[in-house]
Amino acid sequence: MTAREAGLVACTRCGRAWPLGTADCGRCGARLVSRDKNSLQRVWALWIVGLMCYFPANMYPMLLTRQLFSVDESTIIGGAVDLAHHGAYGIAAIILVASVVIPLGKFWAIAFLAVSVRQERGFASHRRLLMYEVVEYIGRWSMIDIFVVAILSALVQLKGLATITPGPAAFFFALSVIFTMLSAQAFDPRMIWDAQPNDNEASDNG
Amino acid sequence: MANTPPPVEITTVRKSVLSGASFIWIIPLLALVVAFGVAWQSYAARGPVIIVKFTDGAGISAGETKLKYRDIEVGEVEEVGFGEGLEQVEVHIRLHKDIAPYVDASSVFWIVQPEVTAQGVSGLSTVLSGVYIEGSWDSEIGFAASTFKGSDVAPLIQPGESGLQIAFRSTANGSLTDNAPIMFRGIQVGQVGRAQISRSGAYAITEGLIYEEHRNLISSSTRFWDTSGFSFSVGPSGAEIDFSSLATLVGGGITFDTFVSGGDPAKDGEIFEVFEDKETARNSLFTSSEVDPLRVSVIFDENISGLAVGAPVELSGFRIGTVESLSGIVDFNQFGDSRVRLNVVLSIQPARLGLPGDVSAAAALSLLQDRVANGLRARLASASLLTGGLKVEMVEVPDAAPARLSATGVDMPVMPTTKSETSDAAATVEGVFTRINNLPIEELLNSAINVMNSAELLMSNDDLQKVPADVSTLLSDLSGIVTSDDVKNIPIALNATLTRVEGLVAELEKQRIAETLGKTLTAAADAAEAVTSSVEGVPELITDIQTVASKAASLEFDVLIQELTSLTSSAEALVSSPETAQLPVALSGALDQLNATLRELREGGAVENVNQTLASARNAADSIAVSSRDLPQVINRLNALFVQAGRTIEGYNRGDELSRSVEATLRDIQQAAGALEKLARTIERNPNSLLLGR
Repeated sequence: MTAREAGLVACTRCGRAWPLGTADCGRCGARLVSRDKNSLQRVWALWIVGLMCYFPANMYPMLLTRQLFSVDESTIIGGAVDLAHHGAYGIAAIILVASVVIPLGKFWAIAFLAVSVRQERGFASHRRLLMYEVVEYIGRWSMIDIFVVAILSALVQLKGLATITPGPAAFFFALSVIFTMLSAQAFDPRMIWDAQPNDNEASDNG
Repeated sequence: MANTPPPVEITTVRKSVLSGASFIWIIPLLALVVAFGVAWQSYAARGPVIIVKFTDGAGISAGETKLKYRDIEVGEVEEVGFGEGLEQVEVHIRLHKDIAPYVDASSVFWIVQPEVTAQGVSGLSTVLSGVYIEGSWDSEIGFAASTFKGSDVAPLIQPGESGLQIAFRSTANGSLTDNAPIMFRGIQVGQVGRAQISRSGAYAITEGLIYEEHRNLISSSTRFWDTSGFSFSVGPSGAEIDFSSLATLVGGGITFDTFVSGGDPAKDGEIFEVFEDKETARNSLFTSSEVDPLRVSVIFDENISGLAVGAPVELSGFRIGTVESLSGIVDFNQFGDSRVRLNVVLSIQPARLGLPGDVSAAAALSLLQDRVANGLRARLASASLLTGGLKVEMVEVPDAAPARLSATGVDMPVMPTTKSETSDAAATVEGVFTRINNLPIEELLNSAINVMNSAELLMSNDDLQKVPADVSTLLSDLSGIVTSDDVKNIPIALNATLTRVEGLVAELEKQRIAETLGKTLTAAADAAEAVTSSVEGVPELITDIQTVASKAASLEFDVLIQELTSLTSSAEALVSSPETAQLPVALSGALDQLNATLRELREGGAVENVNQTLASARNAADSIAVSSRDLPQVINRLNALFVQAGRTIEGYNRGDELSRSVEATLRDIQQAAGALEKLARTIERNPNSLLLGR
C-alpha cells in the first residue's frame, strides 16, 4: 500500500504527510505533488542531453599540456592508456573508473530505472530504490575529473616551460555530469512503487 | 446510493502529441541545435587541403607542424605520408579559409629549421617550437593549385621584400658562395642566392637580390668582385693583410663599384660577372669591348694536352677570342660512352668578327650559326711548335657532316668540331728534323776544307807570284801595239769610212727616209701583232715553267747536296790542276799584247779625221731634221699600235702570272714608245744629236 492509496501525500522536503489534494506543505511551504507527472519526461530529456555531451567529452582532448618542445593533447581514455603505459596502473584505473565506468553506469542505471517503473516485473523494488540512491550519491564524484583538470590548469602555468589548459572535452564532460545528475534528480522514486503489483507484503517505505 | 447519476457520454479527447510534453524537452533540442550549429560552422570554416612534396620530412608531424606566412599561422599539417615509390614526402596541409585563394600556382614552400651558417644563426625559434613550414606567395590571386613542390631552401626573396633581381656568373678564376651578402661600403645591400653549377660545368651561376632602397646603385657598367677570403701582400710599406669583414672572410661575399659614369640602370634579370678581385673587375671595364662576349662551348673528343685558359681562338688566322675555361665532361646519355671529353668554353668578342650594324653577342651567334651551317668547325691546332701549346681554330671544312650551332635553353651553344691538326703538324716537323739530320753535312765540310787547302796551295804557287811582272810586260806590249804603224793608219781608214757615211746620209735624204721609216713601222706593227699572237703561247710556257719549278722543288735535297759536293770536288780538282797553275802566265802574255796595241793607237792621227766626219754628219743631220717633220704621224701610228696591243693583252689577262708578265711587257713597250717620242722630240729640237749621240 502506498501513501497515495492511503489518501495521503508526503512533503518531499520536510517529510510531513498531508491529505491528498493539499496544495502546499503547511510546515515548510513546499509544493505538494503526489506524483510528478512530468518526471519521466524530464529524466529522459536530461538523460539525452547528458549522453549527447558525453561523446564529445571522450573525443576531444581533456588536457592541453604545453611542454618546452611540444604540445600534448590527451583525451580521457588516451590519457589513461598513456598512464598505463608508463606503469601507473592505479591512477589509470581510477581515471577509467571515474570518467568512463561511473558515467556509463549512471546512464545505464537511470535508463533502467526509467524503463522499469512502467514494468510490473523485474528487479525487486527495494533493489531499484537502492540503485537510485547509489546513482544519486555517486553522481557528484564524477566531477573529480573536472576538479583535477581545474587544479592542474591553475597550478601548472609556468610560462614557456610547461602550461596545462583544459581542453574542450572538460567542458563537455562537466556538462554531461551535470545533466546526468539533473536527470537522476528528476526521477521521482515514488513511481517505483506504483508499478508494484498490488500485494500487501510490499514495504510501505513511500 | 441508488440514484447514481446517469451515465454521461464521455468523449475521449484525442490528446495532442505535445500536450503532455514537458518544456524540459527544449533542452535536448537546444543541445542538438547547438551541436549541429557547431558542426556546420567548423565544417564551413575549413579551408582546402593542399599537398606539398618535400624530399625529406625534417621534423614535420601531423597535427602539430604549422604553415606560416610572414610568421603567422595560416594552416596546419594534417597528414604526412609518402608519395608513390617512397620518393617524396607528401605533406597535407589544411589551409585557413581566408588565405586559401592566395595560395596559387606560384607559391613556394620550404621548411624552416634551425641553421647555423657563416652569416649567422637563423630559425632559432624552431629549436623550441619545432620546425614549421613557411610559405611565400604574392598578394594576387592566380591560378589555383593543390599540389606543390616544396623547396629545399628558402627563396631569396622573402614575402614582403622587393628589389632588383639580377643574376651572377662566376668568371674563370672567381667563385661564388651560397647566400653570400652583397656589401657596398660595408653595408649589406643585397644577397646572393643558392649557387648552381651550370649544366656544362663551365661556370657557377646564382640569382642575387639588391634591396629596393639600393637598386639605384647598380647600373650596366657596375662591376662585381669577390671579397671572400683575404689577401696577403709584402711590399715596401711592409706586410699587408686585407679582408673586408670577418663575415666575408669566413662566409664569402661580393661587393661592387661603378668605376665609370654612364651606363643604363640595371634591369631585372640582367647577368653580371663576379670577378676574382677589384683589379680584374676594373680592368674588365676597359679591356673588354662594350658588348658582352659570346660564350660558345666546344666538346673535343680527343684529350690533347697543351690547351690552356687564355689560349687564342682564331678564325681564318685572326684572333677573335680566348679560351675561357676548360673542364672534363662525362655524359653517357649524350655521347653513348663514359669517356672523358674536353669541354672548352670559348669567349668570343663580337667586335672582332667585323659584324655589320649591331655588334652584340646575339648577332655574333647568328653569324656563327650561319657559318657553321656552311661547314665552319672548331678544331685544336698547334699554336707553337716549340712549346707544344694549342689553340682553337675555326676552319671551314668543305664536306663536313651537317651540324648546327644550336642555342636553346640556358645552356651555351655547342660548336661542332672536326679532327684536330696537331698530330699532323708534329709529324711534319719531325720529318723535317729527321731529313736535316740525315744530310751529309760533314762530308760537305770536308770537301770545303779540301777546297780551301788547294786554293792556298794555288796562291802559294811560284808561277802565280810572277803574274804582276807578266802583267806589266803585257801592258808594255799593248803600248807597243798602239804605237805601231797599223794602228796609226786606223784614223785614216776611219776617215774614209766617215766620208762614205756622209755620202750615205745624203743618199738617205734623197730617198725620203721618213716614208721608208713609215713602212718599216707598219712592218713593226705587223710584227707586234705577231708578238701578241705568240703571247698566247705564254700561259703554256708558264705552266711548263711551273712544272719545271715544281720538278726543281721536288728534287731530292740530298741529291742536290751530293751534286754540289761532287761539283766542289771537281772545282777542287780543276784548281789543283797544272793548267790552272799556268793560267797566270798566259794572262800576263795577253796583257803585254794589249799594252802594245794601245801604244800604237795613241800614235795614230785619227782625231782630225773624226772631226771632219762630224762636220759631214752635221749636214746629214740637217737633212734628217727636214725629213723628221713626218715623225709625229709615225708616232701616232705607233700609239695606235700600242693601244691595240694593250687591248690584245688585256684579253689574255687570265692568269696572274700571265697578266703580270704581259703587264711588264706592255710597260716595257710603253717605255720604249715614250723613249721613241722623246727621241723624236729631241731630234726635232736638235737634229745634231742624232749624229753626235748627245
